[in-house]
Amino acid sequence: MRAYKGKGDVQAKPYYTDRYWVAPRVPKFDVESDEVFSKDLEVIKSKFDVLEAFIQVEQMTVFINPDDNYKVLQLLKDELDYTQLSEMSAIDFIETRDGFEIFYQMLSMNKRKRIRIKMFIKNGAAINSVEKLFRSADWSEREVFDMFGIEANGHPFMKRILMPYDWQGYPLLKTYPLQGDEFAAWYEVDKIYGKEAREEIGPEIRDTATVDRYDSDRFARLGYEVPIGVKITGNEPKNTQNYQEEGGVFLIRKLDKDSSKVIDDPQR
Amino acid sequence: MAQIKNRLTPFFENITFDRDDNELVLNFGPQHPSAHGQLRLMLHLQQEQIVKAHPDVGYLHRGMEKMAENMIYNEFMPTTDRMDYIASSSNNYGFALAVEKLVGLEVPRRAQVIRMMLLEINRLMSHLFWLATTALDVGAMTVFLYAFREREYLMDIIEGYCGARLTHSAIRIGGVPLDIQDTFIAQLKDFLDKFPQAIKDYEDLLDKNRIWLMRMEEVGVISTEMALSWGCTGPMLRASGVAWDIRKEEPYELYDEVEFSVPFSDKGDNYARYRVYMQEMRESAKILYQTIDMYKKTQINNQTELMAHAPKYISAPKLDIMTQNYSLMQHFVLVTQGMRPPVGEVYIATESPKGELGYFINSQGGAYPYRLKMRAPSFWHTGILTDLLPGHYIPDVVSIIGTTNIVFGEVDR
Amino acid sequence: MAQHKINYTQNGGLPVALTSMDKVVNWGRSNSLWAMTYGLACCGIEMMAAGASRYDFDRFGTIFRASPRQSDVMIVAGTLTKKHSEFIKRLYDQMTEPRWVISMGSCANTGGMFNTYATVQGVDRIIPVDLYLPGCAPRPETLQYGVMLLQKKIRANKASRAQKPKRLM
Repeated sequence: MRAYKGKGDVQAKPYYTDRYWVAPRVPKFDVESDEVFSKDLEVIKSKFDVLEAFIQVEQMTVFINPDDNYKVLQLLKDELDYTQLSEMSAIDFIETRDGFEIFYQMLSMNKRKRIRIKMFIKNGAAINSVEKLFRSADWSEREVFDMFGIEANGHPFMKRILMPYDWQGYPLLKTYPLQGDEFAAWYEVDKIYGKEAREEIGPEIRDTATVDRYDSDRFARLGYEVPIGVKITGNEPKNTQNYQEEGGVFLIRKLDKDSSKVIDDPQR
Repeated sequence: MAQIKNRLTPFFENITFDRDDNELVLNFGPQHPSAHGQLRLMLHLQQEQIVKAHPDVGYLHRGMEKMAENMIYNEFMPTTDRMDYIASSSNNYGFALAVEKLVGLEVPRRAQVIRMMLLEINRLMSHLFWLATTALDVGAMTVFLYAFREREYLMDIIEGYCGARLTHSAIRIGGVPLDIQDTFIAQLKDFLDKFPQAIKDYEDLLDKNRIWLMRMEEVGVISTEMALSWGCTGPMLRASGVAWDIRKEEPYELYDEVEFSVPFSDKGDNYARYRVYMQEMRESAKILYQTIDMYKKTQINNQTELMAHAPKYISAPKLDIMTQNYSLMQHFVLVTQGMRPPVGEVYIATESPKGELGYFINSQGGAYPYRLKMRAPSFWHTGILTDLLPGHYIPDVVSIIGTTNIVFGEVDR
Repeated sequence: MAQHKINYTQNGGLPVALTSMDKVVNWGRSNSLWAMTYGLACCGIEMMAAGASRYDFDRFGTIFRASPRQSDVMIVAGTLTKKHSEFIKRLYDQMTEPRWVISMGSCANTGGMFNTYATVQGVDRIIPVDLYLPGCAPRPETLQYGVMLLQKKIRANKASRAQKPKRLM
């Protein structure tokens, strides 16, 4: 019997796992160790709940409640001088925690500091749009919706951005296979030629190791090609590559390799 | 001859006559020679003037972030090449740096110098390509031919180093795979000596060119607030009055040891961006001169190491792999199973030729990244077209798209 | 008056050449292959490089045209995604017969390294392809060689008789 594999995460898995392997951790530091960050955190803490805060790889991570996201970002922008939202996206934790982590990557150019605001939302919940504060969130939130299916409340144009509008499924979920589901496999055929053409065009060849062995040995024999069906003896004559036919081409002078000049220096 | 049968219905009606507001909807792309790739713009027009612009991207979405979740870290490196394919090494570098920070690796000095050389050569290649295509879009075919000529010289140097013209994969996690070839320095010096004259040639052709000025000056003005709000970085931001260059402000590699200035302008129009790009090319050339000296110093000090030493994450040098059993075993494990970085998160931004290129990696301690988000500058530089284009006329669209310097491998990923 | 000795019966003995209709038409077709600018991704940059100063495509009579209606050969340079697949069909249908397709690079040939949900696994699932160029990305020399092979292919065909349109299905 084949071992049961969970459907929650269909991404590639290492074939070898060590039961006793304990993964090390990237060191986390107290926020107090950095002057600027500790001041910022105090301001945030005075107004909002902060679930967790630490410094990792020179950047502060702050966990907040998902309802506060707009106001926290407003505070960061207006009072704490974090003028740019460099990036926002989500991380899929459906299998382990039934939800997503959303992160906002903020940049303060005056302080030369970067903060990551993170929050955890339940699967199926929506987030508040911060598009009014940072226009860059307009496209980021659309991308999050496109890839994870997380909607943003108050967004003016909540539609897919990278995938076509009629696409089914959210590609970056861990339940979505890398090579797509059946809808994805037949998308272009169905759209252009209709479902009845599926048989004629055939399925996609997704196995990168597919080799037509009768074809491949001739493929590799560059200069010594053999027609299909002919036995390879190993002492075929060399088949020189010709740009022009033997008999010459009408109105075109035949290339004479001996009299042509080869330029060796590309920097001439 | 009858058309080959298909299911596609007429899909975009260009003209709607029965609307009383006299608005015309124009579809631009996704195959348009001056869309720099596969940008599709839906433009609402009042006569010649754009009242609403709706950029549609995703025509080159190849699922790179998904691929990253299904690959070991080293396996993903060639995929980053195809992101900003005009300057592949800067993508390689951004990813390598992010993983190095996650793991905590120290890169040897000579590798750092070589990396800087590659990054600056890539910046020059990207800027030259930008100049060539933008000038071509605006109508200056001569500059296209000239700029491509200089770009080919740089391609030769890069090709001599890594064997590829476009998709370099020239940087590894933990260092660089090879020392530069013998002719590298001579070729680079040769190029750098010729380059100022080349820039002067371009400027002679463009700076006072009436057509160029008419299509560039006071067109596509991005205010500082707008640029910040849209997440613009790189030359787009610098031309709008914020002198923010990550190489200067958050220096990585050896950028704090080299001398260069950050050109910026407060005009914010197309012409300002053009000037910033031209000045940046000069600055890059300046950095390259200094890296040559730095490289020679590493030769004198006999710093020959190219890869970081971290047996848990990085394979040993080739010589050790071939001669020592333990190195061979460790190399085998690292190649087949991949390194397993510690649990944690990292976001590292580097200054790619287009702007801030950031890699966000969430590692759960496995051999595959749990989530990898690539912050590509062009994504927002395309988004800004929504707000930037309204009010402009149709011919300005092309010059504005040109100066935003967007690359669609990066926008759609 | 100067006396000219012209061998009228030999090819190249201009001003008069005797040949078959086929050869004349094929000569015209193969030496003015106007390519459509269809740079989709990385290979598009190499296609541009092939057209620029160092490699100089013009000497093959290959000039890039922006419109499918003016072009004879479609060089599919780069990754074709599912979202874009519809448009390649539209553009191919807009090209006039006779038309040829060069699939440039691994992505266009088979999907290449992008074995993902969003990538069409080879343009030949949508339009018929005449020539596949390997490489990721192919060098401009490869593209030039490919165009020369296509010229050879055009010359090998009969031009006078109406050609059956190539079709996928």
